[in-house]
Amino acid sequence: MKIPFTLFAIAMFISFSSCKDDKEGSFTLHFKPLYDGEPLQMFSTRPGTGTEQIQFTHLSFLISDTKLLTTSGQHDLIDIDYVDLSFDDLEDAEDGFSIKYDEIPEETYLGVRLGVGVPPDLNSKDPSQFASSHPLSKTGYYWEAWDSYIFMKIEGRLDTLGNGNFDTGFSYHTGSDDLYRVLEGLLDIEVEGGKNQDLNIAIDYKNLLEGINIRSNPQNHNPEDSIQIARIVNNFQQSIILYP
Amino acid sequence: MRRAFKTISYYSILIALVIGLSRCHDTIDIEPGVDLTHIAYQPVPYSPLIPERFPALEQPHDNHMTIDGIWLGRKLFYDPILSIDSTISCSSCHQQFGSFTDQLAISPGVAGVTSRSSMSLINIGFHHSGLFWDGRVQTLEEQALIPVEDPKEMGESWERVEEKLKDHPTYPADFRKAFGIETATMITRELAAKAIAQFERSLISGGNTKYDRFARGEIFLDENEYNGYLMFFDFEPSVPDAECAHCHNAPLFATSDFFNNGLQESPDFLGFVDKGLGLFTGKPSDNGKFKAPTLRNVAFTAPYMHDGRFETLEEVVDHYNSGGKSSPNKNALLYPLHLTESQKSDLIAFILTLTDSSTLVNEAFQSPF
Repeated sequence: MKIPFTLFAIAMFISFSSCKDDKEGSFTLHFKPLYDGEPLQMFSTRPGTGTEQIQFTHLSFLISDTKLLTTSGQHDLIDIDYVDLSFDDLEDAEDGFSIKYDEIPEETYLGVRLGVGVPPDLNSKDPSQFASSHPLSKTGYYWEAWDSYIFMKIEGRLDTLGNGNFDTGFSYHTGSDDLYRVLEGLLDIEVEGGKNQDLNIAIDYKNLLEGINIRSNPQNHNPEDSIQIARIVNNFQQSIILYP
Repeated sequence: MRRAFKTISYYSILIALVIGLSRCHDTIDIEPGVDLTHIAYQPVPYSPLIPERFPALEQPHDNHMTIDGIWLGRKLFYDPILSIDSTISCSSCHQQFGSFTDQLAISPGVAGVTSRSSMSLINIGFHHSGLFWDGRVQTLEEQALIPVEDPKEMGESWERVEEKLKDHPTYPADFRKAFGIETATMITRELAAKAIAQFERSLISGGNTKYDRFARGEIFLDENEYNGYLMFFDFEPSVPDAECAHCHNAPLFATSDFFNNGLQESPDFLGFVDKGLGLFTGKPSDNGKFKAPTLRNVAFTAPYMHDGRFETLEEVVDHYNSGGKSSPNKNALLYPLHLTESQKSDLIAFILTLTDSSTLVNEAFQSPF
């Protein structure tokens, strides 16, 4: 009599396990670079201010404390992730940089929250304190003079005369605790068991650089030169478009 | 009769010589199929001394450093047995006196010269991706396999190297002690590469340089060095930002990233003589990008750049001060710096605080032969 009972228990366990799987889905964020509403690939020439022309050569940033918002609180997704939007091909730029989160409980979430950069508790550390597989191990993403990770990199070159000669390189790196920003997007995100739900986050770099005079101030790094990068950071929210 | 006696005497002397010479060896020849299990396999883990503020030295789960593993790797590193004509070893291009470079613009190989300058191997164990100037492999174990079969470097086949190692009088026992093989037939290229990787991971330098002691608050830098330090890291708005730390960040003074540092003018992505990273990724925009090597011990690693084009640090600083040559993917952080002669000199003074001459005489790094 014991054998049938054991089989029954196994069957019940499998059955319940299956039920549990059905109540979890996945959620994928797709980050996409835009310029003036159009997909942005690196080295493509776009109109700048006046007769200037602009090309981007590298776009990346760190996101942190990514969460899905619920009626009762939040569902944590991941502490830190590195997003690289430096796509050479238009098709890749249209597809964007994707991060998939598995085992998301089935629910209709109210929105998403994420930090752009590194929150102060982690920003007090440095790359040597992380394993090489961790996004915060990147020494090229740490700036000693700030005692801070670099939160975002925007690099490219400018044709100041509009004659096809890209004569000025520019580079804006943001960082430091003061410039850490948490963004929230409110829209229904319905995660169904066994299915994936997408959320697109498009970032328009024309809006991001609004108010920046690239020609007169193409670089920033020293601790007292934070006006330009503060402007970029504060432009972030208005530069984002969320859509399912 | 006399002739026969002469012949017998000749052969007797020859045999005696062979026997005599073979007895001179302190090891016994081991046939490839012979059981090695009588030799003890008792791996002793090696705990490297990691300088303060350095990252952890990560080791692959299947290749943890051991005393015998490093010893075998050290022998293989210094042994020209890896090359087709027994003239080139790893150490031919990575010599201890040059902080594990050969101090040549282009390194030598069995076919004359190779394609690039040799890169310093100090602290290479802290790099977990993008090895070689062009980033073509991701681990030291993969890296160690490449030069043997490169026709310009060692020009040998791994099949032949494996046979030479199996037939060698001492290597089978060394492999037994390092990896626990049971017969010499179990010697493989993968094990040889693992041993070399272990030795390379042991090449740690730093911790007691002038910079390291300054960073720990133990000493002051002099005025010139300190001014160079401020420019290197852009600590002080009143001095120019030399933009060095983007590619050569502390504590390793290197990154695992790749940059076009303006060495060649090109109107497009296809005009680079050496495509660098682009050779490996196939991405045109990666053409002309190279790994940023460590600046630790850069005093001993001239000439500089992947092609050894600059003979002195002064030439290197002049290059970066000029903003480099134009090309579509030249790094955006290269632009005319307008450093004065005094500022350039200060920058070099700081870079020289990264000198650790003890690496050049460290007995653990020396040839075992």
